[in-house]
Amino acid sequence: MVEGTSPGAIRPGAPTVIEVRDLGVRYSLRLTRKNTVRQSFANLLRRREGPSSFWALRHVSFSLTKGESLAIIGPNGAGKSTLLQALAGIITPSEGQIDVRGQISSLLTLGAGFDAELTGRDNILLAGAFMGMDHREMARRIDSIIEFADLGQFIDAPIKTYSTGMRARLGFSIATAIDPDILLLDEVLATGDQVFRAKSQARVLELVRAAKGIVLVTHDMNWVTEFCNRAILLEQGHIAAEGDPAEVVAIHREHSEQVKAQKAAEAARVLAAAR
Amino acid sequence: MDITGEEIAREAPASLRSTAIRPGPLGLIGEALRETWSRRRLIRYLVQADLKKKGSDTVLGNIWWILDPLLQMVVYVILVSVIFQRTTPDYPLFIFAAILPWKWFTSSVYDAITSVVGQERLIKQIQFPKIILPTATTFAGVANFAFGMIPLAGLLVLFYSDRISPTLVFIPLIAAVQFVFTLAFSFVVAGINVFFRDIANVSRHALRLWFYLSPGLYSAAAIEKLRETNPLIADVMAINPFYTFFESYRNVIYGTPTGAPSMPLWGHLAAWLAGSVVLLVLATLLFKRLEPAFAKVL
Repeated sequence: MVEGTSPGAIRPGAPTVIEVRDLGVRYSLRLTRKNTVRQSFANLLRRREGPSSFWALRHVSFSLTKGESLAIIGPNGAGKSTLLQALAGIITPSEGQIDVRGQISSLLTLGAGFDAELTGRDNILLAGAFMGMDHREMARRIDSIIEFADLGQFIDAPIKTYSTGMRARLGFSIATAIDPDILLLDEVLATGDQVFRAKSQARVLELVRAAKGIVLVTHDMNWVTEFCNRAILLEQGHIAAEGDPAEVVAIHREHSEQVKAQKAAEAARVLAAAR
Repeated sequence: MDITGEEIAREAPASLRSTAIRPGPLGLIGEALRETWSRRRLIRYLVQADLKKKGSDTVLGNIWWILDPLLQMVVYVILVSVIFQRTTPDYPLFIFAAILPWKWFTSSVYDAITSVVGQERLIKQIQFPKIILPTATTFAGVANFAFGMIPLAGLLVLFYSDRISPTLVFIPLIAAVQFVFTLAFSFVVAGINVFFRDIANVSRHALRLWFYLSPGLYSAAAIEKLRETNPLIADVMAINPFYTFFESYRNVIYGTPTGAPSMPLWGHLAAWLAGSVVLLVLATLLFKRLEPAFAKVL
């Protein structure tokens, strides 16, 4: 596909842009979504039953140097998205620390957070303001954002008239257009039609070549082995493997096979017991 | 492109996040002020978006902001002067002076309650100062009051021209104090509603009770009369900030029952300005303390 991004091509002595030391993120099970006073009282009464919190991430340490493209892989619920949220500063660590040097742009779920009633243009300005961009800067970039998203006349129509693909295109276009030092991507390469997918992959590679740091969560193992310098395998909130993408992907495959085999055995046992 | 570590550090200051760094109360207040100032453009966009949306989803659009208080006034006039047979001179104007600021307050509070939870998806996607959200809805609420000046002017010019007085210029002063109080209240409900969604249900009834306990439909003289039999309740009712606000608005808009113009309750207003600033500081602290948990709970 695109030349010149051979994996592992990290310049020696490149500065560290992200430094994560012994990161832990704990979720309280008492304070969960849509809590009401009634449930809180119930929780108070049941205080001693069961664990009150769980660690979504624990003892996670790694660093990212400028120009690196790091893939985070792992099974569902391993803490991949939590890790990206912590890197983006959306959630604060419960222990350890994260040191980030440079402007971060996070694209954790494409198109989420758009205001459906507003036009695409208004949403671009609003998103830029939410990300802390200077409005003059944003005004300068709006044309290239619109062009990249390829929405045509729709740019001045409310977002609620957009298709899912159009929203995804606009979201990707905004997040990458602000020229971040560090880009966090969560499962975004799989969205959109084939043409846009190719376009967005080319854009990510462009950012890689511009020696920015990229952390991405993906299930696309081909992308990982082809375009990432390094990969981290997360399992149950811990780093299970780290290093060369091909090796880490192989370990991930092996582990998923084991899990699959275990699950099959368990399912067989359940069925046998039922008989 | 050879950029050294020092250069990067100079270009974009490192942001170090850890549990060890927890700013104290003064640090949090300073942070909130800096965040609000640096994101003033975002507040503006949010206010504009809010006004655009509120005007667009009904046939009559923003006309409702003019009709709403008038219709509410009609309801209360029918209730009080026709059913209860109370006779206060120029009663429609008498209650209109309280309905306008009250509608402003309640709509701001309702909008603030959903301001943070309504942006759930964004909060989980981008890091930004959440205090912007209730701030923006409270600023947008001012438009509600500003539009209310149109029917007020209409009422005064068409029906009560003898009550027009120069004291009307004090309305913005009273509104400024009410704004600070509303902002403080908005921070509290916006923050707490993330953890307890009951706030929305409770507030509907609490606010209604609050209105009836405030001298909106009746004058402060009624509370003074209550003092003879029940001084404690009268004292509690007089502590209510809307005692001060309603009486002040009414003094400058309606005047005395005989029609003579009168002044806002200057002493009470000054006390509530100071009190609201203190409340705003405490509310900001509360909000900033709760803020780190938002993304996890939502």
